[in-house]
Amino acid sequence: MAAYIIRRLFFLLFVLFGVSVLIFGLMMTFSPERRAAAYITSPQQAKDIPRIVEQLGLDDPVYLQYLRWVGRVAQGNLGWSLVASSTVWDAFWRYFPTTLELNLFAAPLVILVGIWLGTLAGVNRDTWLDHATRIFAIVGWSLPTFLFALVLLMVFYGYFNIFSPGIISDSVQLWLADHPDQFTRYTGMYTIDGLLNGNLRVFADALAHLVLPVITQVIVVVALLMRVMRSGMIEEMGKDYVITARAKGADFRTIYHKHARKNALIPVITVAGQLVALSMEGSIAVEVIFNRQGMGWWLAGSATQLDMPVLMSVCLFIGVVFVVANLIIDLMYAAIDPRIRLE
Amino acid sequence: MSAILQTRNLITNFYTYEGVVKALNNVSITVRRGETFGLVGESGCGKSVTVRSIMRVISAPGKIEGGQVLFFRDEAKPDEAEDLLQKNEADMQALRGDTISMIFQEPNAALNPVMTVGEQVAESFLFHRTASLARDAVARMQDEPGAYGLSGRLFKSFLQKAAGQDPRLPMLKIADRLPLLRRWRKPLLAEALKRSVKIIGQLGIANPEEIIGRYPHQLSGGMKQRIVIAIALACQPDLLIADEATSNLDVTIQAQILDLLHQLKKTTIQSILLITHDLGVVAETCDRVGVMYAGTVCEVAPVRALFEKPLHPYSAALLNSVPKLHQKGELAAIEGSVPNLVTPPTGCRFHPRCDKALEICLQKNPELKRMAQDHFVACHLY
Ligand SMILES: Nc1ncnc2c1ncn2[C@@H]1O[C@H](COP(=O)(O)OP(=O)(O)OP(=O)(O)O)[C@@H](O)[C@H]1O
Ligand code: SF4
Ligand SMILES: [Mg+2]
Repeated sequence: MAAYIIRRLFFLLFVLFGVSVLIFGLMMTFSPERRAAAYITSPQQAKDIPRIVEQLGLDDPVYLQYLRWVGRVAQGNLGWSLVASSTVWDAFWRYFPTTLELNLFAAPLVILVGIWLGTLAGVNRDTWLDHATRIFAIVGWSLPTFLFALVLLMVFYGYFNIFSPGIISDSVQLWLADHPDQFTRYTGMYTIDGLLNGNLRVFADALAHLVLPVITQVIVVVALLMRVMRSGMIEEMGKDYVITARAKGADFRTIYHKHARKNALIPVITVAGQLVALSMEGSIAVEVIFNRQGMGWWLAGSATQLDMPVLMSVCLFIGVVFVVANLIIDLMYAAIDPRIRLE
Repeated sequence: MSAILQTRNLITNFYTYEGVVKALNNVSITVRRGETFGLVGESGCGKSVTVRSIMRVISAPGKIEGGQVLFFRDEAKPDEAEDLLQKNEADMQALRGDTISMIFQEPNAALNPVMTVGEQVAESFLFHRTASLARDAVARMQDEPGAYGLSGRLFKSFLQKAAGQDPRLPMLKIADRLPLLRRWRKPLLAEALKRSVKIIGQLGIANPEEIIGRYPHQLSGGMKQRIVIAIALACQPDLLIADEATSNLDVTIQAQILDLLHQLKKTTIQSILLITHDLGVVAETCDRVGVMYAGTVCEVAPVRALFEKPLHPYSAALLNSVPKLHQKGELAAIEGSVPNLVTPPTGCRFHPRCDKALEICLQKNPELKRMAQDHFVACHLY
């Protein structure tokens, strides 16, 4: 098992190499001048472009540029982010907590709601409850994230004005700026820092700002989990071992929760990778629309401005998340299904 | 001999997209106390549906739509029957696995792949022997206070309550639904596992202590079937239903399992309802046989009578299709194929394949008639 984990982490290096070559290759389809244009801020500076190309070596052979980039990354220098106007590394630590916070709230909800509603729908097949969850799933699945988020914003911000976009209210922001000594940013997540500092005002304000983003994220991601859970339960309930359990006198609760569900979770783990991907996609749309300065917001901004060091770094980060997520998924598989051995 | 179980005009249908599968059409059989009753017939004739209807474990889209399943619980009162179809689900749960048990066709599918076999056998005790397990646990804790670690210490009063008269106390039921309180059952599981080791050992499995910790995929087919039998026998049922318990095992294991059932019949179980499509098995193990065809019972007779003089044309054909010692030449296969039960043939369901069919056979469904002492047949020829 330990050997398996080490092998998988070794595999990570290859993934990172592949991802970086791919992204680099895509970048190189832009002309050196286009890439240089990312560094100027006004039309008057257009005359500087040839100089920038020259200075940064943007028209050197591709492999040379790639090697130069790898050399810098190996030294821990991820480059300068134009969008964030700081080093990529600093910007990462500024934006990452926001995205982590969103997903820390959304993921447990997705898992709880998905498994619970999926099980309910599966064992109450073709009842109103099943139909209701199906409609819920179809809506969540087919409605584009941004549309859903916009509708929520229009209703709860535009019309009722209960929740507003952003991470935290301006008034709280100002208070924080005035009292830097009274609030320590332990984690960079306002809700958790609010609790750690014993400052309920910050906590409540940050939490209120999370409501709509979390709802959007949950609805987008939960549909898949729910449907897989439902069909898993239906399939398992038709298996012979369920009849064995009933024939020995098991009640339905025991059959659903002890016998069938553990088996039904196996196909769920199969789509867990997809769930992670959905969460990442969801985070981008949610952050852009709700104006939350997180990884997704940063990535979207960098992509439109061709902020190359950021795009490369974020893609590497996504690669790391995927490999680690898949490793965890494999470990979960082995934990739940005794027939699987990790070798 | 008095009856222990009797079905009367049992009707079960499956509501599928292709239409209503009329799987059982007035099935009436009787299993007597102390006998082994065989149920034979081609694949798909409704043997499994019959016994699953008896146990009421037919799952959707199946529905039991008529008839009675009479169970004679008390030997001393042969006239007092309870209709299992009228019982509520809780009463059925108390009865399944305790008074009537079942073993299955396919040992590979009959066990839950993600639970250890020990846990699966232990469930039989946990469902039906809570009070006695709790008494064992309380007794053990008197000798050895730390026996079950923390859960034993914390929940001693729960165990004492459960050991009393009624293990279905509301308080315990509520505890079962709550996250930490649920652990009061841990000592019961430990005791149930002990009993599981014992019964698995009795069924001829070497080193049962080690086996109970294994998962089904780590056992051979024969071992799995013994585990399935252990689950069924755990609470010493009055009636054991064996649904093709041996058909998917290789020949030597088949013989061992049949031998085991034979032994058990002498010692622990009173009555067996044995489903098979192997007439050899019937000849060796059964006292009486019922022959089924397309959801109907065609003939019921003592084994010898059926083998010597089958009355129903289908029984005769079935017996003819079995290889006999000293037989020369080809086996006589039964002409035609099993009918579709969505639109079964009118009248006698066997008429399209019957070479003796009469005019009336196309219109009228034959009733089961008594031909001799204990010999019944449903056919217009008689
Ligand atoms: N879940 C189901 N849905 C639809 N039809 C079913 C279902 N279960 C059984 N049937 C139908 O009921 C009929 C009887 O099936 P059953 O399983 O009782 O046969 P069997 O006699 O046990 O056969 P075998 O020897 O193959 O086990 C079959 O025609 C089958 O198509
Ligand atoms: S009732 Fe008619 S069709 Fe059916 S078995 Fe008897 S003779 Fe054949
Ligand atoms: Mg069958």
